[in-house]
Amino acid sequence: MGQQILNAIFIGSIYALFAVGYTLVFGVLDILNLAHSAVFTLAAAVTYTLVVNHGQSFWVACALGIVIAALMGLVIEYLCLRPLRRRRAPPIAALISTIGLALIIVAAIEQGRPGTLFSWLWVDGANPVTMPPGTFPNPTWNVAGLTLEGAKLAVIPISIVLMLILGYVMRFTQVGRGLRAVAENPRAARLMGIDVDRMISLTLVISSALGGLAGILFGVALGDISPYIGRDSVEVRGLAVIVLGGMGSIPGAVLGGYVLGAIEVLAVVLLGSNVRAGVAFAALFLMLVLRPQGLFGAQLRERL
Amino acid sequence: MRRVRLVSILVAVVVAAACGSTGGGGTPANSYSGKTIKLGAVLSITGAGGVYGPQSRDGMNLAVDEINKAGGVNGAQIHLDVKDDASLQSQSAQVAQTMIQSDQDLALLGPTLSNSAVAVHPLAENLKTPILAVSTTGIHIVPDCNFPKTDPCRFVFRDSLGEETAIPDNIKSYAADAHPATGVLLVAQDDKFSSDGGKIVQATVATYNINLLKVIKFNKAEADLSPYVTQAVAAKPDVIFITSLGGIPAKIMIEARKQGWAGQFLGGNGFNTATVSKNAGAAGQGARSASAWYLGNSFPSNADFVSAFKTAYGHDPDQFAAQGYAGIKIIADAAKRANLTFSDLPGDREKLRAAMETVNIQTPLGPFQFTSTHDVKQTVWIIKMDGNGGFTLVHQIT
Amino acid sequence: MDFLIQLFTDPIAFWSSHTLLISQIGINSILASSLFVVLYSGQLSLAAPGFMAIGAYASVLMDIYWRLPLALAFAAATALAGIVGVVVGLPVLRLRGVFLAIATIGFIEALSLGVILNVPITGEGLGLKNPDADPVSGIYIVLVSTAVIVFLLWRLTKGRLGYAWSAIRQDELAALSQGIDVPRYKLIAFVISAIVAGYAGAAEAHLFFILDPNEYGVPRTVQVLTFAVLGGSGTVLGPVVGALFLTIFPFIFQQAGDYIGVVSGIVLILVIIFRPQGILGRGGFAFVRPRWWPRPQVSAPSTG
Repeated sequence: MGQQILNAIFIGSIYALFAVGYTLVFGVLDILNLAHSAVFTLAAAVTYTLVVNHGQSFWVACALGIVIAALMGLVIEYLCLRPLRRRRAPPIAALISTIGLALIIVAAIEQGRPGTLFSWLWVDGANPVTMPPGTFPNPTWNVAGLTLEGAKLAVIPISIVLMLILGYVMRFTQVGRGLRAVAENPRAARLMGIDVDRMISLTLVISSALGGLAGILFGVALGDISPYIGRDSVEVRGLAVIVLGGMGSIPGAVLGGYVLGAIEVLAVVLLGSNVRAGVAFAALFLMLVLRPQGLFGAQLRERL
Repeated sequence: MRRVRLVSILVAVVVAAACGSTGGGGTPANSYSGKTIKLGAVLSITGAGGVYGPQSRDGMNLAVDEINKAGGVNGAQIHLDVKDDASLQSQSAQVAQTMIQSDQDLALLGPTLSNSAVAVHPLAENLKTPILAVSTTGIHIVPDCNFPKTDPCRFVFRDSLGEETAIPDNIKSYAADAHPATGVLLVAQDDKFSSDGGKIVQATVATYNINLLKVIKFNKAEADLSPYVTQAVAAKPDVIFITSLGGIPAKIMIEARKQGWAGQFLGGNGFNTATVSKNAGAAGQGARSASAWYLGNSFPSNADFVSAFKTAYGHDPDQFAAQGYAGIKIIADAAKRANLTFSDLPGDREKLRAAMETVNIQTPLGPFQFTSTHDVKQTVWIIKMDGNGGFTLVHQIT
Repeated sequence: MDFLIQLFTDPIAFWSSHTLLISQIGINSILASSLFVVLYSGQLSLAAPGFMAIGAYASVLMDIYWRLPLALAFAAATALAGIVGVVVGLPVLRLRGVFLAIATIGFIEALSLGVILNVPITGEGLGLKNPDADPVSGIYIVLVSTAVIVFLLWRLTKGRLGYAWSAIRQDELAALSQGIDVPRYKLIAFVISAIVAGYAGAAEAHLFFILDPNEYGVPRTVQVLTFAVLGGSGTVLGPVVGALFLTIFPFIFQQAGDYIGVVSGIVLILVIIFRPQGILGRGGFAFVRPRWWPRPQVSAPSTG
């Protein structure tokens, strides 16, 4: 049972990190960035390729992976979102353009094989791979019948620290105030001299960096890196988390992540795997019907 | 000096011309010279099955090249078109239908996954096109592809040793070696291959006095298998049975070892490729499975196959490559004897189908013949992972 | 390009060798029309694959166990989808925009992962075998139904229902103040959409020898959404055009070979950026417009 609790905390941290990025974009832009899970996948894939195919050290590769994820945030803004805003397109178009970008990213990784166009990015095609043992420190202790893995445990403080930093930034720095102003009322923010476009770019950068980091931690600690980890593991669960926690609420996303992790592991232990995801989505549906603002969201304002 | 050189060049030219035109034998009665035999392969190059598909493809291409270079099938060149089904049933069915109806391929090979075969084989049967399965090992593939209907599918064949034979052989062999008392089964319940394997394990263990403590089911797309492995390890079994494919076996083995479990892994066909052994690494060392083929087997055509494959692709072949290679050879042999007209496609397909039933050739899998149910009966190799991306032989069961 | 060449030079051979593809275009058109109905009434409901699943499984099960003739099985399955449509539609009436989208995602995932996977009669994760599938002559049923459904929906949009839906889509409060019974019309749209999707599911199931529960999840709904948005949801033909284009796309661009995924993503982004209202355009939907997202230019001058 103790081991299952550890499992829940670990996966909950991943969900939380991923969802924070999701909810940040939603909070500031009122858009669901469906390329977020692709960035999750990309960061993990890039880190792996850098270590295995380009001979970088693990830490350098991780750092680069996060940087690339952050840059993808800019790509999302400049390629998918800004052109639509400029053309005054309906907001659902943004959904589609991020879907398009996600498609490109995942397909590019999927097609990465030796000798093909994308072999600089990835050479394992559709195959799932693992970080070779020894590339990163992963001490394992067996204590009181529990297996404690360094890599998995490290995810917890990393996530918490990042969330605290983000919270601090949002609350106490000028940048954070700017972001919150844009989230609250962009027209007013613009009138107050805030460069809204820049705030939006910043939002995407932070969100994507967090999503990418979640991907790297997931891929490394779970030993599973493939073009499909985003789609299979976090894409839809991320939605469940931000709904549970309240859309636009960062602490909500964090709590929601751990709640979902706990629900899932509990469902597996008590009911078996078949219901694992089903339970999560039933909970999601009920939450929306009964308390749409989630645990922490503000009262649903009518957005017109 | 110059005269000698001239003569030797002349001799070489004459010899080359003579060798090229006869294609290794006299002119056979039904000459297909100038014609093309079109074959289509629907394989999983991407997706979960993408761990196996490329191997099948490479084996097939090697066979096609060899046959074509040696003059083709009675003078006809083989043209093999390989298409990816992304491990998706619907895409598999669409690709197959395109190949059958639009490309007008004479016969099909594949698909890679048992999951897809459920969609594709009945389609091929419906459209009266011979299809040879080269890696599907689940149940109800042959002859009852339309299960639960019992009428046999006349156009469906397979050269891949079924799990119904392989898994019991593997369990029996390990039981004789180590007499395990307890086991836990981990099965991906939404994958036909894994689920079939699981059923076979459950049906077999009692015979060897292995008590199956738990059957733990999970879904194949889940990345985080730790809750399931935790449950398995907590039961403290002697054996953990893993009937999954793709990236799952390696993950389970690594996680179980991390959680301190030191018992034996027994698996199915999903173990039998280098990628799985490599990914499992040290955690997979000693994991056993039954394979339809082994690198060092002593069948006549195997050594040539292995060295030709290494020369062409730079790495060792595996079971899937061997089955793909054999698949092409089987169809080529049938085509040779089928008296194809190349003008009546439905008629040719029926002739090919009939000729396939009487195939009897040497392949890297050993001497090959179909059983009366279009299935395979052959030597079974019990192999175990060596912890380094390869396999070593444990037993040979004839 | 041989694909298109054959289409024009030898249509009969083209027809007989592409029955599955043509049928799939029909099915996708029906699905896209189902989405059209809810979008036209201002509801971003992504529930179509869930109702598809109900139609598909119900019709095949009735065929296997009750030996119902085809027409009866279709009718019963479609009706069942409609009933579930009422059950699901009622509680989500209050939800707007993205919240409705997520709730419907919760519904389809809960259905495919929670229900189908746990009811033995459906074959659970392995899928349901359909021994009476008819991939070749099923095409006639599909094409005729496509034409009928599209025509019926078109007629609906011209009538009182269409007027009410348009009003609701543009401004729900204003529609209420005009005396339109908004919840009733929204529910009607939702249920009609469910019925159409259920029919699409039953028809599609008839073409394949096996039903796979994974076909009825989020990737499917993303696909259908893309048909509708790409084609333009101002008119019922829009989503149909979107479905046609996207279904044929991989075949036309066979030259792209392995890179079809990347090419599709690029085309998607380009189309949506340069024509955000979709190919057939005309009206987007103002179901939820973040306060700051620039409004599309209004051509007629507004009074007051």
